[in-house]
This record gives sequence, structure tokens and C-alpha cells, in this order.
Amino acid sequence: MSTLFRFPLKQNVGIGAVPCVIEGDDVHRGQLLAVQGEGLGSNIFSSVSGRVTEVTDKDISVEPDAEQSPEYEKLKKTEPLDLIREAGIVGLGGAGFPTYAKLGKPFEKDGTVILNAAECEPILSHNMVRIAQNPSEVIAGMIIAMDIVHAEHGIIAIKGIHEKEIALLRKKCTDPRIRIATLENVYPAGEERAIVRDTMGVLLPPDQLPLAAGAVIVNTETAYRIWEAVELKKPLIDKDMTVAGKIRGNEEDKLIRVFLDVPLGTPVSAMFEKVGGAENHGLADTYGEIIMGGPFTGKRTSLDAPVIKTTGGLIAAECFPKGPEKIGLLVCACGADEARLRQIAESMGSEVVGVEFCKQAQPVKNSRKCQNPGHCPGQVQKVLNLRKAGAQAVLISNCTDCTNTVMSCAPQLGLPVYHCTDGALRAVNDKLVRRMHKHAG
Amino acid sequence: MPAEKPKKWKIQTDPQDSGRIKQEVNDMSLTKEQVAEHMKDPAIFCCRRQKGLKISEADLEDPAIFDDMIDAGLLKLSDDGLTIEQVLGTTLTTDVEALTPITPAVLDHVNEISAPAADEKPEETEAAAAPAPVPAAPQITTTTGSDGMIHIEIGKAEKIEGIKLDVPVFGGPAGPAGPAPVIPAAAAPAAKKGEKKVIRTLTKKHIKITDVEIGDETSIKDGKITIDKKLTELALKEDPLCKSLALDVIYPDKRHVYTDTIMDVCPIATKVEGELGEGVTKVADGVVFMLTGVDEDGVQVHEFGSSEGYLDERMYFGHPGCADENDIIIRCHAVIASKTGMTRPGPFAAHKCQDYIIQAVRDKLKTYEGEVVREEVCEDVRREGNPRVVLVKEIMGQGAMHDNVICPNEPCGVFGGQKNVDCGNVPIMLTPNQVRDGSIHALTCIGPATKEMTRHYIREPLVEGLAADPELDLIGVIFVGSPQVNDEKMWVSERLGSLLESLDVDGCIITTEGFGNNHIDFIQHIGQAGKRGIPVVGVSFCAYQGQLVVGNKYATAMVEENMDAGGFENNIAGCSCITREVAARAIQMLKNRMAGVDIKPAPKKWNNDVINANNKLLGLPETKLVESGTLH
Repeated sequence: MSTLFRFPLKQNVGIGAVPCVIEGDDVHRGQLLAVQGEGLGSNIFSSVSGRVTEVTDKDISVEPDAEQSPEYEKLKKTEPLDLIREAGIVGLGGAGFPTYAKLGKPFEKDGTVILNAAECEPILSHNMVRIAQNPSEVIAGMIIAMDIVHAEHGIIAIKGIHEKEIALLRKKCTDPRIRIATLENVYPAGEERAIVRDTMGVLLPPDQLPLAAGAVIVNTETAYRIWEAVELKKPLIDKDMTVAGKIRGNEEDKLIRVFLDVPLGTPVSAMFEKVGGAENHGLADTYGEIIMGGPFTGKRTSLDAPVIKTTGGLIAAECFPKGPEKIGLLVCACGADEARLRQIAESMGSEVVGVEFCKQAQPVKNSRKCQNPGHCPGQVQKVLNLRKAGAQAVLISNCTDCTNTVMSCAPQLGLPVYHCTDGALRAVNDKLVRRMHKHAG
Repeated sequence: MPAEKPKKWKIQTDPQDSGRIKQEVNDMSLTKEQVAEHMKDPAIFCCRRQKGLKISEADLEDPAIFDDMIDAGLLKLSDDGLTIEQVLGTTLTTDVEALTPITPAVLDHVNEISAPAADEKPEETEAAAAPAPVPAAPQITTTTGSDGMIHIEIGKAEKIEGIKLDVPVFGGPAGPAGPAPVIPAAAAPAAKKGEKKVIRTLTKKHIKITDVEIGDETSIKDGKITIDKKLTELALKEDPLCKSLALDVIYPDKRHVYTDTIMDVCPIATKVEGELGEGVTKVADGVVFMLTGVDEDGVQVHEFGSSEGYLDERMYFGHPGCADENDIIIRCHAVIASKTGMTRPGPFAAHKCQDYIIQAVRDKLKTYEGEVVREEVCEDVRREGNPRVVLVKEIMGQGAMHDNVICPNEPCGVFGGQKNVDCGNVPIMLTPNQVRDGSIHALTCIGPATKEMTRHYIREPLVEGLAADPELDLIGVIFVGSPQVNDEKMWVSERLGSLLESLDVDGCIITTEGFGNNHIDFIQHIGQAGKRGIPVVGVSFCAYQGQLVVGNKYATAMVEENMDAGGFENNIAGCSCITREVAARAIQMLKNRMAGVDIKPAPKKWNNDVINANNKLLGLPETKLVESGTLH
């Protein structure tokens, strides 16, 4: 496996960056590799010192020096918004929308910045670790964002179960403009429009952004990196993440590991090796797939893929169960999309005989968004349709509440239920997404 | 005109084709529009709901799928379950699981519902027709009386029984003054009262034929047709794919003979004067041609869905497309090239060659001055001031043997006509007279029970019924093909929609033949009319096997053609097609639609009692189902 660090030119919503180094260049940690193109995009920096070995139209590879220093080349701008843009910061919750653009238009009045600390994907826990470690810096980053957009209010949205982190934030947050709002422990509590609904009481239609409710949402780590960019002049070169699953020799208590400040470009294999050792790249003898991201929305990746700006989780999932001959898909806007479910079905050895979309999963641009995230509209008709199409089981990507509804009808119809998160959750011995507990949340 | 986004269709099961349809529209928890139609239905939570919730329609399951849910064992309605109107706006006092009936025990209060007053209007007490995913024939609740009134009789409705109301018939001469129902005709200028204006006349002379013989020359003499047996050789020159032809005569009392698959029943009719649709046409009475076919390997033409067997068991004698009880049948048996039975050219070759033989008989009929048993005068008329209506007939256009020849030179002929598939399946307007003069030669095959054969069109009951109706203004008959590909179906349907709009019609009846694949277009056509606010009645074989797996909110007036006891496509040619009774029900339903009289929603499952209840209301004979072994 390569020890090269690889930096894809496109790690954000928008267009890719343009290389400004050539093969053979010596680079330092924090040095610009590729500059934001004309339009929505972000700068790409080297996270290591070393030599550029290859520049293609897709990525830049850097052979790292044996010795690495935590120091980095500092940013040059002076104004906060300029620094955020120069740093190449994008939405680090996984969306990858360039942050300078999100903060680019100040509110005229009554604006709100919401810190998204929901971390609602199961397994992922690096945001909570970051809050525990740097509560003041996270809050400071949030206040920088508030000042940039002239927000009069700030809301920290965090699940109620994180009592320790909430107490810490309360202690450290002295700004009277900011309040803490607690969320239920369900998926997708952290979906942008769910947060706006649950913290501000406004349900936005699927094609509108939080901006329509006078809100801008900033992920926890994004706020932290904003603070770094503005206060430390540090470009976005390090990433927090959760590494989990079928890792070699891993004990029960080490199934889920959090790494803060992982240099971008690190090969995925190196992350598993950090936990499980060199043998089989740190992975157990058998596993189903490697997921980059969370169990619900993550995508299959490979061991030689690099860590990028939007990498939040690396999960070695459990082996795929042998599925029935014919399976039906129920696609939810909040979880895996149709292509991802088809990929899982194929890995289970099942033929897809029917595809249904949750009624609330409305097409928006190239994807789908939920009309009312986390509030089930009923799934019986969809499941009946799949059975009619000949499905012997259903594979679903629904949120917690919708899954509960599927569980109240599919088993009675003789249809076993598989969920897109099963492989990841089994790998960490976590409870599968199925029927809800009576008093969930 | 309300712009409505075209619905997206996926595909559905169809024994004839590869498709599978499914609807991608709201069909679970209720929408605000739906809830008004279901206020008195049981209230069931669609999903788990938590204490403190104020119940809205979005929390409730759509009652339209309750039957399916009960069948599947997912739902048990409870005696103390509340109705939707009783629970909307109330607050939940405990957590409740999905798919459980809402009872008073879990609510803070129950809405008081006052009993409806006795003088409430009927259209408010009968549920407005909901989008019917499985439309069978809805119950007609009205009849037109001789006194010019529509009598509305509600046998039994929620909380109301035995109400009778009389409503003036629109446009009728006897219509008294008073609050007439709002109908398009009411807006017409008072001067035009539906006076009949004849555009053209067609006289069909039915010439008595009493015997047929296969002989050495072609002639008609003293009621006897003789066909030169050498024609079977000469006809083969018409198409090299046709390898041999054989003629024989089957008398009405000798029908227990084996027959290969029935490809068509074709009358002998010929123009004596004028073009198709006008002038004089002679039709041989008491005799028809029947085309049967196999390929050189002995495989039935359009195998699967073929109708070979004993002739007396394989045709619904007396139905419009079939031979009548006392008809002599001239069987023309074609053998076509090996493996061409399911292609376009193969079966067409058989039709072409048979037409060559029929033409020889036609030529003799032109000059034969025999006994005229019936002189039928057909008129293309305008009745300005009456509701403008159009009949839309969806015909097969999937290619292969699913095709039709339109407007041939001779009535029911082949030569000179254009094939529907070659015309791109686009809607084509014919006058009622053109249809009644044999403008359609059917090349339809698979699914013999539900396909309209050539003879059907020359005496199509809906064309005859609509043209003769003094309350309507039938402006024409549109033929629209049913293409194979779903995208093309949508394209064709949109063309039909524009045509309907430009014709400015006040109502339309849309029919289809077959089931499954063609139902995709059928429902789109209904939607095209419906979204333009045009009252629309659909006529089709649906029953058990052909249930419309797709519905839309405009498919609320549907007439069933089925006559099979099992509700299946069977192998009796012409069994489940448009009959006089079907036509009468469809026309009445259209009138109700245009008059704004509600049509009760159909029960979820096909039930022939509903059809017979409608027959009874209209004084029609009972629809008796045929046991064909499909009942199970």
C-alpha cells in the first residue's frame, strides 16, 4: 500500500481547484498545492512536508519526508472572511459546501447562526471529543461566524444525551446571544432543516436552505477550523474523524476510535493501521466493505483512497449477509440513496425487483430531500408495493421513525428487513436501526 | 387551466409485455385534499406517534389502502375505533404505535359530530370519488326518466337511506325552469337547442346471403356466394410470407369443429357509391370471413394468448366483433412462413391475402341485386347547443401483430389503408360514419377476449349509441394508438390532450382494448382529459386480472367490459369487449359526469354485482359471466 499522500483537487461542492505545483516541487506543510478556481470552490494545501511526485487532472500526490513537524505555513490574509476563504474551509459535516460562500451574505437583521453539534450518524463521535477538548475554541469559531454574518442570535444544537458536553459548553459560553438547544437522540436530528425546525420552529420546504428561515448552520468542526484559520492563520490541513469497525485485534472497548487532527491526504489504510497494526492493514480477516462517512450516508471507499476534507468516518463493516433471491429497496432521502442500496443489494447477492421512495423524499436538483426529516409519513403502501413486485425482503435506508413504521408492517408480511446501516452497526456491536424503544429520545 | 405535472410511471406486471407499472404519487398518509373524502372513515395512525401530538391528516393512514392492509393481516379495525372527523385536532395522551386504530382512550377529547340534516344535498353525503387505484365499474346512481328528469336514488349511504331526488336533465326539451345543475350546456346560447343538422349520410344495405360454396368461379346468385377455389393460389402472390391458404364453409349448426387461432372476423362489405363514410355501402348479411393461422412449423400465429380449439367454444357469438348466432362462417386458414407469427410482416401477410379473396367477393356484391334485409341509414350530424362529446378509442399500436389498418379503400379492407404503427400512433379523427363504414381493419391478436376485431368497428355500439343520442353532440371518434415504449405512450397521450383541448369538448369517453400495457396509456389519456377539466368516462376490461394497477384522481367513472367468471382474460374471442350494455352504461355515466351528478366510488375489488346493479338501473339485461375455467 502506498505511503503517498494524495490530495484530490475537488473536495467540495462546486468546482475543483487548479494545481499550482509541479512534479518534483518540494512542499511544506501548509503550502498551497492547488488554488481555488473561478467560482465556488476551495484551496487545497499540503498537510505534510515532502516532494510532489505526481500532478494529474484529478489529484496531487506528495511523498512525505521522514520527519514531520506540526508547524505549518501561515495564511496571509487579515480579515476573518478572507482567512476562511484562503484556508479552504468547507462544510466539514460531510456536505463540503465552501464556508466563505455560506457566510458571504450578512443578515440585515435577526439572523441566527446554529452550531450543528448533533452528530446524529451512529458511531461517529469525533465532534463530541472535539467539544470536550476545545469547547472555548469551538464557541469562539461560532462567534467569528456570527460576527461575519451580523447574526443577533446563536444556537448550539446538541443531543440531550450528551450531558457532559452540554455542561461544559454552558460553562464556557458567556456570550448572552447564544443559547443551547437540545435535540432528540434520533436520526436525522442533525439534518439542516430538521435542526431549523427543532430549534426555531420553522419547517422549511425541501428546496429551501436554512437561510430562508434567517439561519446559517455551521458544523462543530467547521467552527473549530474557522477559529484556527482566524486566530492561528492555519489552513485546513487536518481533519477530525472516527475510525471504527472490524479492526484487527481490536477489543470491545476499541471498536470506535476518534482521531483528532489527522493530516488530509493520509491513505485510508494508514488510519486502520494506526489502530490495528500493519497486518492486513489493521483490518480483521474478514469484513464486508470500507465505508467513508457515517452508516446512513457514507459511501464505499477503498484502502488506497485518501482522507479528504469531508471525511468524517472510516468504518470497516461486517461481512454482508446472504440476502434472498429477490429484494425490494425503500429509499429514504435522509439515508443511503438508490445507487448505494443497489450496491449493498448486489453485495448481498440479491436481485433488486422493486424500488420505492419514501413519500417525503422529494427530488431536489440531483438528489432527494425529506419534506419533514425524521417524521414518518407512513410506509405501508410502499412495502406492499415491494411485496407485490416479488420482493422476499426489503432493504431500506430510512430514518429512525420511518424504519419503525416499516418494522410495524414488513415482518407481518413475511418480509425480513435489512437496513443500510446494518454492516457498520454490526461491526461495532451496536444496536441495529429497527423498531424504536418506547421512550426513544 | 390548472397546470399539472405529468405523473411519472414506472412499469408494472403485464402478461403480454415486459412492463410493470407503479404509481409514484402520494398514496400514504393523507393530504388535505384527500381528507375531505374520508372524514367518516376509520382513523388509523400511519406511524408511531407520541404523547402530546395534535392530530392532523398527515398522521393518518389513507383509508384507500385499508382493504389491502386488512387482506395482508396488517390491520384490524376496532369497534371502538374513531373516524377521521372525530379525531382531527384532538391531542394524543399517550404514545401510540403505527397502524393501530385511534380510540377514545388515547385522546384528550373526541370531536362531536352532528348527524347530517335530512335535506343535505346528495353530493355531499356520497363520498366524492377518490383516486381509484382499482376501478371496477362504479355504481350509477341516476337514471334519465322519460319526463326529462334525472332521478337520483341513494340506496344506502352513510347515515342516509332511501332518499330520492329529481334533477332536471340538461338540454332536454322537457327541462323545466329552476336551479339546473351547472353543466357546460347551460352556458350555450339559448338559441341553439341541439337541433340536428345532418352533414352526410351513409346508407348500408344489408344483402341477404343464405349459402356459401367453394367452387370453380366467383359469383353471387340467389343469395348464394360461390368462391373460386383458385383464388387461394392467386392470393398467395400478394405476399411471399403467406405460404398457403385454404377456404372452407362452417354452417351455424356445425360449429363444433377444431379451429386454429382466430385472427380476425371480417364482414364482406363494399362501396357502391361515394367514399368511406358516405354514399352507399353493401354488406353481406348472414355471412362473415374468419381468418385463422399457423406458421409452417404448426405454431399458432401470435402463440400465447391464442384461441385455437373447438370453434363453438372459442367465440362469443353475437358480440359486435364476432360472428352472429346464425352467420355462415367462411374460414380462411393461412399458413405463414416459419417463425413469422410474432412479427409484423407475418400475420399481416395473412390479412393481405385474405383481403384479396374478399375483394373478389366484394366485386360480385357490388352488382348483385339481392334481397335487402335491412337498410341502415347512418348520419354524421351536428347538434349544436348540446354538450360536445368525443369518443376516444385507444387501439393497439405496439407493432408486431398489435396494429390496425386505418381507412382502407374498401370497408373493412386492407388495401389503401395506413397502418396505425406507421402513423406513429398519433390521434386520428374519424367521423362516426367513417367508423361505421369499416374504416378500421384490426390486426390485433394476442388476448382474443379483450381485443376488438374488424367486425367490431363497423358496428361499434358506443359509436352507434353516441351518434344517435339526441342529448349529445358527438363531434367525432378519435383513434389513438398504444405504442410499445412508455416514453412514446406519454408523447402520444400529450398529443391527445392538446387535441381534446382544442376541440373544446364538454365530455369524452375513452375506451381501450386488451389490458396491462395499454392501461398505461389509457390512464394517461384519462388524466389528459381530467386535468383539462373535461368530464371523462373510461371503458375497459379490468376485472380481476386487468385491474388498473395505476389510477389517478380523474379515473372515477369507469365502466367494466369483463364477462369472464374468473375476471380473467380467457380464450373466447370477443368475450370481454364493448357490448350494447357496456355502451349504454358508459353513455349514462358520461351524462352524469357532465351534469355534475356524483358517481359512487367502486368497491376496492371487482364485483359483477356492481355492474348488474348498474344494468338494472338502466333497464339493461343482466351481465352473465362465462365459465371458462379461469375461476379460482
